[in-house]
Amino acid sequence: MKRFCRLLRNLTLTLPLALLVAAMIQHYQPPDPAVAFPGGEIAIGVDGSFPPFASDDGGKLRGLDIDLGLALAREIGAPARFLSISYHGLYDSLISGQVDLLISALRIEPARRDDVRYSQPYYDNGLLLASEPGAALDAEALDGQRIAYEYASSADSQIRAWERAGAQIEKLPYELPVHALDALRYGQADGALTDATAFRLYARTQEAWRPGTAYVTQDPYAIAVRRDRAEAWKLVERALSALKDSGELARIIDEWL
Amino acid sequence: MFEQRTRVDSRRQRAGALAGMLALALLLLARKPVTDLLPAERQTVDTVKPQVCVHTLLENEVEEASILRSLELAREMGASAIVQFFPWAYVERERGRYDWGLTDRIARHAERQGLRIIARLGLMPDWARDGKTETLNHLTEDLFPAFADYAAAFAKHYAGVVDHLIIWNEPNLSFEWGYQPVDAARYVGLLKASYARIKAANPQAVILAGALAPTLEPRGSAMGLSDLEFLQDMYDLGAGSYFDVLAIHSYGFREPPEAEPGRDRLNFRRGELLREIMRANGDGHKPATITESGWNDHPRWAQAVRPPQRTAYTLRAFEFAGRNWDWLENLCLWALRFPADVHSYPDNSTLVSADFLEKPIYFALQDYARGWARSERPWLPPPKAKA
Repeated sequence: MKRFCRLLRNLTLTLPLALLVAAMIQHYQPPDPAVAFPGGEIAIGVDGSFPPFASDDGGKLRGLDIDLGLALAREIGAPARFLSISYHGLYDSLISGQVDLLISALRIEPARRDDVRYSQPYYDNGLLLASEPGAALDAEALDGQRIAYEYASSADSQIRAWERAGAQIEKLPYELPVHALDALRYGQADGALTDATAFRLYARTQEAWRPGTAYVTQDPYAIAVRRDRAEAWKLVERALSALKDSGELARIIDEWL
Repeated sequence: MFEQRTRVDSRRQRAGALAGMLALALLLLARKPVTDLLPAERQTVDTVKPQVCVHTLLENEVEEASILRSLELAREMGASAIVQFFPWAYVERERGRYDWGLTDRIARHAERQGLRIIARLGLMPDWARDGKTETLNHLTEDLFPAFADYAAAFAKHYAGVVDHLIIWNEPNLSFEWGYQPVDAARYVGLLKASYARIKAANPQAVILAGALAPTLEPRGSAMGLSDLEFLQDMYDLGAGSYFDVLAIHSYGFREPPEAEPGRDRLNFRRGELLREIMRANGDGHKPATITESGWNDHPRWAQAVRPPQRTAYTLRAFEFAGRNWDWLENLCLWALRFPADVHSYPDNSTLVSADFLEKPIYFALQDYARGWARSERPWLPPPKAKA
């Protein structure tokens, strides 16, 4: 009886611990791709009308999101198949199960979280304040600075917000973001405020020009997975982390932007 | 004994009266007043462009303060009028019983801001659907008298406050009929059922018809029918006798406001083609109002333009309409503000963000409507490298 009691006591202590360890192992073990993607491939929905993230080049999809999808599939260990879907139909195609993932320069939309899990961000298209090297601008101290931007854009709204907060900015509105960046490069502005993509595309064309940059706002892009596909989401998260750690994601971004 | 009974009776009467007064006070306290925030004085709209009008979306606002702030923003922008949806489903939740609480809140605030209200009526109550359909637009002929009852009750309740009423919305789209096939005869039937009832309830009422979606859908399409063909069908079925003003929806999409209209393209001047049909059918004397219009600047929408174009096109649209369209009463932009962001391209049609931040286009419109100084070209010429 005594031995039985000791056994019971030992079991009471060790069994929950063993179950906990098993659960942790289960949690940290990568899900089986064959279970996460039972179709034997990863069907990726993409809007092929948004270069440089994705564009349809004579029936072949190209772009940052395509390269990211291929790298992600390699990391997961399953082939990728891309489906070109209009922007408006992306989430419907995900929720109806037509595709496993959406990789399409998607902003994180909190309102969709009942249906969708988002990955960690893979790109930030927030507003960048660019300034000449050696004359870095502080977004908190822009009094008297000449700031170029696209008229009526989100940059315009941000500058109006700074003005409401009391900043005395010399505003230089232009019709296009490239004009604002030209103004900075030509020394006609102290700073240019554009989204990160507009800045990076412009900077690619000006190899010798290396302005200072600082993010002013965040606009993260992420991969969307259906909420009930937790295994698929885990694999995507794991693969995306690996691509970040290895520098592969940065290489893909640099190739297109 | 008699005296004692009288005293008792008197006490009872006093207690009864007191209980009655208490019950009345409790009733008044329990019933939330129509408005807590109504400004004490009626405001006036300061505008030099009275055609400027904006579509508001206040029917789903929870906070009265949001209704007030939205309407203040419309007035401060210099809009003389608003288009606002007054859903039948919200007012007549029980058949034959009208609860004007929500709509009173909107109408009284708009009136107090000095704004003329163009009311859009539609959206079926639950009882009218009777479990037969999930959609809120599946209006069948047998329900036309019930809709006309609502329209007449609305016209009577708001006589002198809301005199402009749009009957239904975009009836040339199947979606707006709960996915029934599009049929101009059905819409004319709805107009016919409503027109006399509204006029009897409020002889000053102005009835707007149409509000047709700009579309190129061919006859037989499951989606809808071209607005031009639908309007001609309406006239062929005698609709001319059942409306006073044509409501027009004319979006610019990717074209500038001056772009030539055509039967095979959709742009801002599509209203001219609808006007031609009105004239050809002997209705050229009637005015029209554009109850939905504008451009969108979402970076992902194929029909969008860039933010500077959106602003410039919008201002030029008002200029063009003012110069060329003497038949136009108001040009109403879609839309002032959404109660919450939808996180997709419709957000980029608004003038004010969901959190009440005015977008640059709002300030440009305000400069225009209020006659404040503004440059013809609000942006600088492209910079040139110094030699």
